[in-house]
Amino acid sequence: MLSAGFAVLLGAGAHANTVITLFAGGNAQRPDLLRKVLDRYQQAHPDISVELRTGGATSELQRKYLSTLLNARDTTFDGFLIDIVNPAQYAAAGWIEPLDRYLGADKDKLIRSWLPAYAEASLVDGKVVALPAFSDATFLYYRKDLLDKYKLAVPTSWDALGRDARQIQAGEGAAVPEGLSIQGAPIEGAVCTFLTPYWSQGKQLTDAAGHLTLDKPAAVRGLQMWRGLLASGVLKRNIAEVKTADTVNAFKAGRVAYAVNWGFAFGAFQNDADSQVKGKIGIAPLPAMAGGQSVGCIGGWQWSLSSFSQHKTETVAVLRYLSSPEVARTLAEDGALLPAFSQLYRDTALNAKLPWLQQALPVLERARARPVSARYGEVSDTIRVATSAALAGAQSPEQAVDEVDSRLRRVLR
Amino acid sequence: MTTATLLKEPLPVHPAPPRPRSAWSIGERSLGLLLLAPAILLLALVVLYPVGRLVYASLWDMRLSGGAEAHFIGLRNYADLLADVDVRHAALNTLGYVIVTVPGALIVGVALALVANLSWRVKWPVRLALLLPWALPMSFSGLIFAWFFHTDFGVVNDLLRRLGMAPVSFLLSPTWSFVAVCLASIWKASSFVALIVLAGLQTVPAELYQAARLDGASRWAQFRHITLPLITPSLAVAAIFRTLAALQTFDIPYAMTQGGPARSTETIAMLIQTNAIDYLDVGYASALAVLLFITSLCVSLLHLRRVYREASA
Repeated sequence: MLSAGFAVLLGAGAHANTVITLFAGGNAQRPDLLRKVLDRYQQAHPDISVELRTGGATSELQRKYLSTLLNARDTTFDGFLIDIVNPAQYAAAGWIEPLDRYLGADKDKLIRSWLPAYAEASLVDGKVVALPAFSDATFLYYRKDLLDKYKLAVPTSWDALGRDARQIQAGEGAAVPEGLSIQGAPIEGAVCTFLTPYWSQGKQLTDAAGHLTLDKPAAVRGLQMWRGLLASGVLKRNIAEVKTADTVNAFKAGRVAYAVNWGFAFGAFQNDADSQVKGKIGIAPLPAMAGGQSVGCIGGWQWSLSSFSQHKTETVAVLRYLSSPEVARTLAEDGALLPAFSQLYRDTALNAKLPWLQQALPVLERARARPVSARYGEVSDTIRVATSAALAGAQSPEQAVDEVDSRLRRVLR
Repeated sequence: MTTATLLKEPLPVHPAPPRPRSAWSIGERSLGLLLLAPAILLLALVVLYPVGRLVYASLWDMRLSGGAEAHFIGLRNYADLLADVDVRHAALNTLGYVIVTVPGALIVGVALALVANLSWRVKWPVRLALLLPWALPMSFSGLIFAWFFHTDFGVVNDLLRRLGMAPVSFLLSPTWSFVAVCLASIWKASSFVALIVLAGLQTVPAELYQAARLDGASRWAQFRHITLPLITPSLAVAAIFRTLAALQTFDIPYAMTQGGPARSTETIAMLIQTNAIDYLDVGYASALAVLLFITSLCVSLLHLRRVYREASA
C-alpha cells in the first residue's frame, strides 16, 4: 500500500504511473512465474506497474480471504486469480465486473480460442466474467519405474489400482509405505475426491438447470470404495488429514506408488530440486469405478476484474495479457501449467518440450466441472466436510451421503 | 430604639446576597456530562452502532450469493436458527467448551500461580514462563497443538511410537479432537488465570500463614482455609472473563480442526464465520451473532450484579 502510494507520488510528474494490484492465489499458482511475465509487461508499458499479492495456501482459504475483503467492497485489488469454481459465485455477488464491454468485437474470437470447459466456466448468463490463466484437471500420477518392475499395466479401475498398489507395497516394504495418495482433508480437493468416483458411474450431481440429482447409492458406493482402499492399507490411515501439498510431498519423496493430483503437481515432481521421482513419473486419466468410465475433475484458474477497481481499463489490459497464448506458453514451459488455449496443444514446438500435453488433452476434454452455483461456498463446504468425515471414520458413508443430500437439497433447488 | 425593644422585637432578617456564580458552577451536572461525552461518543461509535447495525441486519434476508435483493423478514432468521441442527450442535459444543475449559483453566491456573508465588531466587524466568502462553496469538497456539497431535509428525504420536504403541489420529476422531481442542484452550487460558490469581496471592498477608503454622495447620489446611478464601474474589473475576472468552471460542478449534471431523468441534462463533464468509448469508450470520451477544451479555450482567453487591456490602 505504502509503496503503491510512493509510486503514485513519484509518477505524478511527466506521466502518471498507474499501480495495478492483483491477487495471485497461493504458491501453487506460481506467483514467481507470474512476476516474471509481468516484468515483461512493465517493460513494454512503463506507465503501468503491477503488484502481486498472495494469500491462503488452498483454494477455500483464498475464497475466505477474498470474500472477507469483497464483502466490505474493498478496493485493494484491481483483479484476482480465482479457482474455476468461483466466478459464478463472485458474479452473482456483484464482485466481478463482466468484461464484454472491454472486449468488444474480440469476445467471440477469444471464447472460441479456449478449451470448451473454460469457455463454459468463464461465462455467466452469456457474459464473460473471467479470462482463463491456465487449465487443470485431476490426473492419476504413477511411478513408471515401479509399474515396470512389477510388470503392471496402468490401472483403469480403482479395484485394479488397489490390487496393484498392494503388490507394490508388499514388494517394496518400508520404501513405499503408501499405495495411493488422495486429498481427504476437508479442502476443495476433497470435493473432487467425492465426485470423481460418483461421476465415473455415469451419475450427475445436478441437472442442466442446476437442481440436485444426487444418486445416493452411487455416492455411497464411491465413498465405500475409498474406505475399502483405506481398510486394505492402500490409502494411509490418516488420509482425512491429507491436503494437496501433502500428496505432492509424499509422491515427490518417492513414498507413494500412485497419486491423484492436479496437473500443476507435474512441475513439482519433475523440476523440484528435492524430487526423488524425476523422469519416473507417468500420468494417466483417473481410474473409474468397476464398469464405469473415467471422469476427472476440471480445475484451472482464471483472472477476473474487481467491480471495486479504480483502474478498470488498465486492469483489463493487464488481465488480457496474462490470459494470452504468449503468457500461457511461458507458464507451460517454465511451470508445467497446462494452457487453456486449444492452439497450444497443436503447437509442435511446445509439444516437443512437453510431450505430456498430448496425454493431458483427452483428460481435460473429458473432465467435468463441479456444480456451477452462486452458492458454491455452501456446496463445497457440505461435500468436503462429509467426505473428510467419512474418510476419518467419524461418519459412515451412508451418514455422510445423507448429510450431503439433505444439505444440498436446500442449496441446489 | 432601646435595648428593651431590641430584645423584644426580632431582628430584621436580610436574605443572604447571592454568591457570585463561578464559571465551573454553571452546572456540575452539565460539566459531568461534558467530561463524559468523549467516552460516551466513543462507546456509541464502537459498541452501540455496530450492535444496533447487527440487530438490524439480523432482521433482513441479506444473502450476497445472488438472486433476490435484501429484504426485511422480521424474525424469520431467528425462527430458522432455532430449527437449525448445526446451531444445536455448535451450541452444545460451545457449552462443552465452557464446562470443560473454564474449570480446567481455573484449576491449572491456580496451581501455576501457587508455583510462581513460591520464593524463587530469580523470579523473572518463572513469570516469563507464566506469561508466554498468554502472549502467543490464539491461532498460533492452535497451530502448535494441531502439530502436536498430528498423526505423522506430532510429538504425541512420536512418544506413543517410542513406547511401542500404535499412533492415534487424534484430530480425526470426534471425541479426541474435542479433548485436544480443550487441552489447547486450557493451556492457553490458564496463564491468564494464573496472572490474575498471582496478583490476588500477593495481597495475602504472610502473618496469617505464620500464625497457622504455629497452630500446627497442614499445608492443605493453610491453602483450604487461608489462601482459597482470600483469592476467591480474583478467582471469580477470572471465571467470568474465562466464561465470556470460552463462549466466543473460535481461533483454536479453527486452526486445529476447522470444526471437524463432521462438525464435532464447531462452535457458534465458527458457525457465524461460516455463514457470513463461506455462505455469504449476512442476515442469518447476524442473527447468530445476536444470539451469542445476548448470551455473553447475560454472563456479564451476572458479573456486574456481583460487583455491585460487593461494592454496596
